[in-house]
Amino acid sequence: MKRMQHPLTWWIWSIALAFEITRLNNAWISIVVVGVAFLVVRTFREDAPWGKSFESAFKLGLWIIAIRCIFGVLIGTPIPGTTLIKLPILPLPQWMAGIRIGGAVTQERLFSTFHEGVILAAILIIFGAASSLTSPHRLLRVLPFAIYQFGLALVIATSLVPQMVRSISRIKDAQYLRGQQLSLKRTLIPLLEESLARCLDLAAAMDSRGYGSLKTRSRYRPISWNVSDTFIVLAALLSFLNPYALLINCAAPLILMRRKTMVRTS
Amino acid sequence: MITFSDVSLIYPNSTKTVLENLNLTIDEGELVLVIGPTGSGKSSLLRLINGLVPHHTGGILAGNVSVDGISTQLVKPGGLAHLIGIVGQNPANGFVTDTVEEELAFGMETLNIAPDVMRKRVEEILDLLSLAPLRNRSLATLSGGEQQRVAIGSALVMHPKVLVLDEPTSALDPIAAEEVLSILHRLVNDLGLTIVIAEHKLERVIQFADRIVHIDGVGNARVGTPSQIMSDSDIAPPIVHLARALGLADAGLSVRDMRRLSEDIRNATYSPRIVESANGGECVVESKNLSCTYGEKIVLRDINLQFHEGEIIAVMGRNGAGKSTLLRSIVGLNNAEKGSVRVQGHDPAKLNGSARRESVGFIPQEPSDLLYGQSVLMECTQADKDNEVDKGTTFALLNELVPGISAHTHPRDLSEGQRLALALCVVLSAKPRILILDEPTRGLDYQAKNHLVATLLRYASVLKKTVILATHDVELVAELASRVIFLADGDVVADGPTLDVLLSSPAFAPQVAKVMSPQPWLTVKDVVSALETR
Repeated sequence: MKRMQHPLTWWIWSIALAFEITRLNNAWISIVVVGVAFLVVRTFREDAPWGKSFESAFKLGLWIIAIRCIFGVLIGTPIPGTTLIKLPILPLPQWMAGIRIGGAVTQERLFSTFHEGVILAAILIIFGAASSLTSPHRLLRVLPFAIYQFGLALVIATSLVPQMVRSISRIKDAQYLRGQQLSLKRTLIPLLEESLARCLDLAAAMDSRGYGSLKTRSRYRPISWNVSDTFIVLAALLSFLNPYALLINCAAPLILMRRKTMVRTS
Repeated sequence: MITFSDVSLIYPNSTKTVLENLNLTIDEGELVLVIGPTGSGKSSLLRLINGLVPHHTGGILAGNVSVDGISTQLVKPGGLAHLIGIVGQNPANGFVTDTVEEELAFGMETLNIAPDVMRKRVEEILDLLSLAPLRNRSLATLSGGEQQRVAIGSALVMHPKVLVLDEPTSALDPIAAEEVLSILHRLVNDLGLTIVIAEHKLERVIQFADRIVHIDGVGNARVGTPSQIMSDSDIAPPIVHLARALGLADAGLSVRDMRRLSEDIRNATYSPRIVESANGGECVVESKNLSCTYGEKIVLRDINLQFHEGEIIAVMGRNGAGKSTLLRSIVGLNNAEKGSVRVQGHDPAKLNGSARRESVGFIPQEPSDLLYGQSVLMECTQADKDNEVDKGTTFALLNELVPGISAHTHPRDLSEGQRLALALCVVLSAKPRILILDEPTRGLDYQAKNHLVATLLRYASVLKKTVILATHDVELVAELASRVIFLADGDVVADGPTLDVLLSSPAFAPQVAKVMSPQPWLTVKDVVSALETR
């Protein structure tokens, strides 16, 4: 059994990282931070469905960079410099002055849009790492009882979304096999009916297992706050004071990781 | 333990009484089986026990239901959580957490049970239900049988006095079903747990039941021992039909008792049975070296099969053996990694519109996926239009199949069997050359199953069409199929006439075959005709 950090630890850690990335505004540092996040996710994540959110966030990040580069090069204010290629300029009406589509693509402009894209993607990937490292359900368990109705809704929503994705593809397949054109109505009606029935089932199951019938609930495997949690969070908080504490923030989990591998080998 | 006194139940906007003046006392340590046609209110009866009906569903309840002295009128379902464990029809729909261990602990956490007690109980349950190897697994990755065991475990872990299960084996293959039922049987004997089960597949559960509650859907209920109820019930497993046909009135309900009584019948000599082979028709589906993978896992490995006109082929195998993947490849939903499937010489993935409707008809596991109309009539009209047949054809077909469905009913309000019939008619009115059904008998009662068998047999033999179905229901296969393909771990391990394949595997043999082994009979009809021609 892997020893787990407190779910809030990883969220604080990644919020701090994202904060530093925006403040330092440097693509190279962002790439290094993403690399650190990758190492941390690889070591600390669990083998569970949400564990894959890092990969999806990473793919989404690459898309963001690509799309940002395309738009940034095609549209926007030119930055003078070394011209790489010249694109034809799309003539625009007078009232759209200041906007330009096409034109010379300079190395500087490509570089600056790429730079912005990388930072944007890095922030996204960092949050992907956080959700990879903590289960949404476990995060829910550290939230106070006062918002238990909220918890009920959250549990239903988090278990419903993947279910809906599966249902949609199933219903689409069935309609396709009936030899019909896809239409929103034909997919939505069975989907909504099924999802509603499923929600009622889940609510009934939670109800008959006593959810919310007592004010206090005990914890199986209490989620404890350890020295290592304090260590990571302190490092994260430091970086809110000084941007160069990023180094400490990145290093903290890596030091833990080293300890962890040492424990494993011994 | 459970007392129903003068219980009547009626749902709003319904003219039908579900239960009327039901009086029933279930003692501690009893295993009670609830039977009845689909839509007759079995689930309602079960949910009355912990107050989900009417607290959660609405409905007007007269009389009183009390469990261990607590009346369900006075407390909410949550207040009975320590007393009653309830497992729904589809356990996956009721999972709240991510992993097996957390799911087991969830109910205890809400009841504020001390952590050290929880740890101990979780360990006990993990051992009792042999779930220990799965303890850290994510619930989404479990097979149907494993999910069912986790659901039962998370009910048992609260140490309830009553366990209520709604069709616990309907989605399971025969082996997994046996596993679950033997666990339940052990719990009744070892712990004195009171269990109430609703189930359609009586052949699987009846030998464990102490008493049976038979409800007919219009308010009447009969309560009695299995042999009392089975003496004249229209809902009965094949073994009872066999006993009736052989005139063995008090033959008992277990294969063992039946074998003892039918010894002389088995040992007589019979003229060898001639099985007409349906082969010889034109080959309509052919797969060559078909291989499919899902992620890293190989689901199908070099499958070479040919399906002919007029055949009814049953694809069997355990959960996850690749049955659905094979069907999906034939209808063109799955891209083969290697090899190919040809439907009448065409690639099934490239069939569209009416060409598709006329060559392949597919009934998915959830027949309601096909339905989106607001009424039965709308659905039928749409099918007539799509299939370019005369107006009213589909509805006429439906009336022939299951008479008495009102044209203005919403498809959601139909019973499971009626909904399947509607989906079947929508597909059949195009008269596809190949009809494919994925698990058609989940939640179907015997009557609906007989209708289905008659329809499919006629479709295959009169119209010379091919029917392919994937199913766990051995009795259905015995009645219906002419050929059985047995898949295991992506390989075809058996392919041949139904008789040969079913007789060679004890776990997948139908009840009649178990009783009559080594005689080559699968159904009551086989036995009767063999006795007549002797």
